[in-house]
Amino acid sequence: MIKNIRIICAVLLTTFAMVACKEDFPVDEDGLLITTRTQCYVSNFELLGSDLQTVRTSNAVIDTTAQTVTVEVFYGTDLKNVYPQFTLVTDAKLEPKITGKTDFSDLANPKQYTVVSGNRQVRKTYKVNITVQKP
Amino acid sequence: MAVLSSCEEEEYAIPTLPQKLQNDVIKRTLGPNLTGLNIEFAYAMALPKSMGKLVSAQVEASIAGAEATYLDNKSYYTNSSGVDVGIEVGSKSVNSGNKTTVTFTKDTMAATLRYFYRIPTSAKGKEVTFKFSATASNGESVSYDMGPYKIAEMDMVLDLDVKDSSAAYISIEDMAVYNPTQAAANAAKIDLVYLYRAIPNITFTHGLVAPSAKTYLPGVTLPAGVNRTTKVQKVWALRDFHLARLQYGIYIDDLDFQQLDLSTAVDYAINLRAEAGTWVETADGKYRAYIYINSINNATKSAKISIKRFTMK
Repeated sequence: MIKNIRIICAVLLTTFAMVACKEDFPVDEDGLLITTRTQCYVSNFELLGSDLQTVRTSNAVIDTTAQTVTVEVFYGTDLKNVYPQFTLVTDAKLEPKITGKTDFSDLANPKQYTVVSGNRQVRKTYKVNITVQKP
Repeated sequence: MAVLSSCEEEEYAIPTLPQKLQNDVIKRTLGPNLTGLNIEFAYAMALPKSMGKLVSAQVEASIAGAEATYLDNKSYYTNSSGVDVGIEVGSKSVNSGNKTTVTFTKDTMAATLRYFYRIPTSAKGKEVTFKFSATASNGESVSYDMGPYKIAEMDMVLDLDVKDSSAAYISIEDMAVYNPTQAAANAAKIDLVYLYRAIPNITFTHGLVAPSAKTYLPGVTLPAGVNRTTKVQKVWALRDFHLARLQYGIYIDDLDFQQLDLSTAVDYAINLRAEAGTWVETADGKYRAYIYINSINNATKSAKISIKRFTMK
């Protein structure tokens, strides 16, 4: 009888342990938490050169209505090898992901990045317009 | 029981002095070993006073050091102000082939001698080992092996003065700076042009520009034949210890040059500041280099640069 109780206890404990391991929170394909937030915007933009120093001449102008980021860079900036950095609203993420050096040299066709909100329902595409300082 | 007993404290015992001649070595220099620089060691040796005194100390290098190699004949202590004070304990060291020897002239039973191995050009790319040895008046001798140490294949040149429109032509192959007349004579070897410009509305200042990047050479008339396309990539805060001689313990080694990828780099670097630098690859891919800006001077339109260069195989 005691043996049976022990077995039952063990089974129950295992079940509890398994239940406790169950995921209570939804995550997306990147393992990031999906939340209830619907905000979807870029709050800051930075562009670094190959020497990891900023190439901006002034702060980037972000228009969240027109969904554009406008930034002027120094004369002589090597736009083929720059590192963009986006600051987004809480819980949002960016597509495509930034993995390193990015080529921004095609000024006629501005690069586009999509911000995805915390609940992963709202998507807004931002255009990054770059102008180069002229003498 | 076994677990309990292992927790028992062992009683401390004062170590007993080994009744013999002993020695120890530490290496004092850090970073890659470049030809023309020193590798420095501190060699300590001692025996109990009752057993005699030190007679001689010797270092044998597997590759004979350059002329400036020496074993210091002083034993140092650090005084209360933190300054190392040397006390002479032996005659000046004598270099004979691979060996450097100091003969003790003072009645001493313990000494720490510093050894400065000046890396010879013949050791470039090779490995060098050292055998430190000491003898005492009772006939005992000890030795200590150090190494092997790899000698870097890089070359280095320090403090070249560049000046806009005069000493402005840099050759990585020669690791030298030329004026326009000399540049015309060495046209095929000119990799970069130094210039300083103060242009309204933009930040140009000090630049290292390949002769091919005409856009970034405003007002420069290149000597005939100077036309190479050199790859250049700006770097910030890479203050190599050998080049900058500042407090930062950062060293560029052969490996950094071997793994450097400048395939997408441009052929100019402008708006350079003091303590910045540029990675460089020559048009023929034969040399890779790091040019460090030691100082700049806007008024005289000049700069002081130092170069580490690696020859690609």
